[in-house]
Amino acid sequence: MGAKRIYAAWAGVHFFLIAAVCVAGIFSLVADGLTILPSAFDSYARKGELAAASVLGKEMAASNPVRRGIATYLDAAGSQSGYTFFAPNVPGYHRLILELYYHDGRVEYDSPHVSGGAAALRLDSLLDRLAEPGYEPLREVVVKMLAFSVWQEHRDVEKIRAIFGSVNQPGIRDFEHGKRESFQPLFSFDFSLRNKENQSTTR
Amino acid sequence: MDFLFPPETDKWLAVLRIGLGLQVAVYALFLKSDWNYLFARTGSGLVSRELGEAITSFDSRLIPKLGWLVALGGHIGIGEETVLSVAWACLLCAGCCLLLGLFCRPAAIIAWFLHLCAAESGGLLAYGADNFMTIGLFYLMLSPLPDRYSLDHRLVKTKPKDPQLLGFWRRVLQLHLCFVYFFGGLAKCLGSGWWDGTNLWRSMTRPPFNIISPDVLIRFKYLLPILGISICLLELGYVFFIWMKKTGSVWLVCILGMHVAIGLTMGMYLFALVMIVLNLAAFGPDFGSLSLAYRQRFHAVFTKQLTP
Repeated sequence: MGAKRIYAAWAGVHFFLIAAVCVAGIFSLVADGLTILPSAFDSYARKGELAAASVLGKEMAASNPVRRGIATYLDAAGSQSGYTFFAPNVPGYHRLILELYYHDGRVEYDSPHVSGGAAALRLDSLLDRLAEPGYEPLREVVVKMLAFSVWQEHRDVEKIRAIFGSVNQPGIRDFEHGKRESFQPLFSFDFSLRNKENQSTTR
Repeated sequence: MDFLFPPETDKWLAVLRIGLGLQVAVYALFLKSDWNYLFARTGSGLVSRELGEAITSFDSRLIPKLGWLVALGGHIGIGEETVLSVAWACLLCAGCCLLLGLFCRPAAIIAWFLHLCAAESGGLLAYGADNFMTIGLFYLMLSPLPDRYSLDHRLVKTKPKDPQLLGFWRRVLQLHLCFVYFFGGLAKCLGSGWWDGTNLWRSMTRPPFNIISPDVLIRFKYLLPILGISICLLELGYVFFIWMKKTGSVWLVCILGMHVAIGLTMGMYLFALVMIVLNLAAFGPDFGSLSLAYRQRFHAVFTKQLTP
């Protein structure tokens, strides 16, 4: 009976934490105005999100052992994020186009690539993530790494311009009327590989 | 308390073990050609493993990562590339061991640890399938292994496991799936695109999921809103209808059908496989008793026909 109680208590805590993660995820979508709910709900949802986050210890200092303990446990159990895949709506997708400038004035176009389909899925997922506001501080450094991975195959390239943008997909009606996807640049970075300087511009 | 500890056989555990063994082996084989490139340090791979690990370490330094293994290898004079290759080989071996039921518990722990290391180190490159693999392997490693269909059981005659403990871990998996589908379904219901078919169109026409040509898809445009609403209701209703005797099997078949369709039409094979495995283990029929029932029924019909 004692062992059963321990198992039951563990299950209670386990699902309480999972519920908190899931509720925080739903509240976050509502608070960000991504759902069909009226905007009047936004502020309440933000409060709810903060309450759920505080249950997970996210209001505590980053070094707090309780916060770290919860984060470690949730990661180990694979439950650190909610289950809002392709929800509430399917996001647009993104592309990274690399303009390769050679010494002799030639310009070629390339993109970061991997060998297998499973890894390609992960690369696409990375590009979609880069467009999210939360990843803004990492954007330049990740784009630089992706550009560098391509540069290793083209060592005589002098400069790389990385253009990151979203791809606008046509809706069903637009597609029927002949409209096709279009690329909209969001920002670009120039990487000068010879003298290790780089500049960035945002459009 | 009885709800959490229903007596169960270990057939569901065998399904989970074999299914996740297959999943881990396929995961390793799919990433074989890109493994070192994805997880190499700054300057030698696609994106830096160290960057992913730094982001993970912000949450907690105790979360396992491939950097630990690389550092360990460095202490004994083994290079990064070799460590990564060994980690990949160990993951594949763990998957094969789970598939066969050999050294079940150590194999489950190694598979969970190595997969978690890869998922956390490549955090920027991770997606939904990684979470579900971690969930499945986490429960598998804690469950009362080995099951009676494993090689472990045949080689070393192990004692039968406590049926209530087996029931507890199956119940935990069942409840977790209910959380997954309820919150997934709720989030979808809150998006306008699932009610008018737009989201299905968008998900199936965006690379890399655009296996079916939009020209073919457009022919079924009137079906898209129906399918979109069906997915919402199927996921939201899972938490209620999967438990009922009359609707449980129908719901399970529909959910499995949905994941098969996701795998085949969108190319998300790993995601589809792990969801099918988790569903079959959690709510799948008792395959052994089912085949016994069919045999008995067949036998009864056969003898009746032969009787003058």
